[in-house]
Amino acid sequence: MIKLHGVSKIYSNDTVALRDLNLHIDAGEFVSIVGQSGTGKTTLIKLLIAEERPTRGKIEIGDWDISNIGSREIPFLRRQIGIVFQDFKLLPKKTVYENTAFALEVAGEETRRIHTVVPQVLEIVGLHGKVNRYPYQLSGGEQQRVAIARALVHRPKIIVADEPTGNLDSINTEEIVNILKKINEFGTTVLLVTHNREIVNHLRRRVITMQNSEIVGDEIEGKYRL
Amino acid sequence: MFSIFRLFKFTFQDIARNFSLSFMTVFILILMLLSVNTLWSVDILTKEAVQVVKDQINVSLYFVSDANPKDVENIRKYVQMFPEVVDVTLRSKEEVLNSFEASYQINKDVLSALDELGNNPFGPTMIIKTKEPQDYKKVIDALNVPEYAGLIEARSFDNHESALDRLQNITNRVEGLGWGLAALFAFISFLIIFNTIRVAIYTHRTEISIKRLVGASSWFIRGPYILESIIFTIISIVVNFGLVFLALYYLDPYLAVVFPDGFTLTNYYKSHILLLFGLQTLAVLLLTVVSSLMAMRKQLKV
Repeated sequence: MIKLHGVSKIYSNDTVALRDLNLHIDAGEFVSIVGQSGTGKTTLIKLLIAEERPTRGKIEIGDWDISNIGSREIPFLRRQIGIVFQDFKLLPKKTVYENTAFALEVAGEETRRIHTVVPQVLEIVGLHGKVNRYPYQLSGGEQQRVAIARALVHRPKIIVADEPTGNLDSINTEEIVNILKKINEFGTTVLLVTHNREIVNHLRRRVITMQNSEIVGDEIEGKYRL
Repeated sequence: MFSIFRLFKFTFQDIARNFSLSFMTVFILILMLLSVNTLWSVDILTKEAVQVVKDQINVSLYFVSDANPKDVENIRKYVQMFPEVVDVTLRSKEEVLNSFEASYQINKDVLSALDELGNNPFGPTMIIKTKEPQDYKKVIDALNVPEYAGLIEARSFDNHESALDRLQNITNRVEGLGWGLAALFAFISFLIIFNTIRVAIYTHRTEISIKRLVGASSWFIRGPYILESIIFTIISIVVNFGLVFLALYYLDPYLAVVFPDGFTLTNYYKSHILLLFGLQTLAVLLLTVVSSLMAMRKQLKV
């Protein structure tokens, strides 16, 4: 599903963000990527969604080599990957429903189908009663659930969650992790970037540990070891 | 893929949910257009005022009282042959006398002196109008030959010559100043509008980057902003012309006093509406759409 072959990312000021990464993630896996700040976790996510290009190496999503993806192809790639950010990245002037529907609208989905799918997804994340609220009218946990609904709505094969619980309390953190687990049970590959030791240890899934821009650990049922 | 319905939906949602920003952009556009129209009107009024003064200037040739009508007629034909001459009016001896008597009706002394002469002391008068004031000199020079010396008793042009030079000088300066002001103003307006739209787009930068991250294509993002620019242009143009015509409605009665020949700015605007409307719409549209596209370019690089 996701393959990295000798991927490096070096910025113009000679800062090495990633060094010679080799990684293979199968479809349906739940993978936690852990590491201290500045070890390249977010850069890795940026490479996967083509926000950045690798300096060296090859990245494949499915059978698609995205190492040198053209700017016109980027929207198509992003429609196949659901992304969840720590700061939610919701459109502030759109309601819960509109934020979720937007991911389908950009893909040119029919309005009738949008009206069917969006309420279903909002039901899954437990927001069916708050469809007409704006992001500022929601708690942090609810905002993150909207972000997950938006990531989920076009049924992506991969969900990438970059520190999704970083701004949340322990109750909301547990809820978000449970939702991600539920999504994974449906067969979606989940990549979770996190600092949270408890989550990683509780999940008992594959853990990739990063340090100094390199992968230093890759365990099938790993724990947080930093 | 990107339906027209969604384009309009997102555009109107954006306008309504960012109402204060939308209002401010339209407000600035209207101010700019009103200023342009004010400058334009001042230019038109200046030209019209100069034309009114030019129209009042003519050359009168006063013939001797015993001038042969055949010779006078020959001069008239000769003058009419000049391409610069637009009108030649010939008043006979009798018409000149009648006109004189009419204007001195209340001054009996003048009229009785005229009676004492026993005959008509006036000769025919020829009134010549040319396209431009500077053309008079050419006509007068052409008539200033020995052949006509015994026929033409006097001419009125000499009295106007310096006034005409001054008028021409003022006209040229006003026109030059007008163009200078227009260019300066256009530049300032361009900077204001360009930056207003840049600020508007800048406030949307987070939104634009989020749209990119969830898979929106560049044109899906640009579309509503471009349509917004078109809508802002249409609203500002319509409101601007509404306000201009409202202002002219109150201004024209005052102009009627200055321009007795029936010139009104309302008539001018009505007769040039397509040119004015088209030019201003095109200019504002270019300005807003290009500003939007340029301002968005940086935000779309996510």
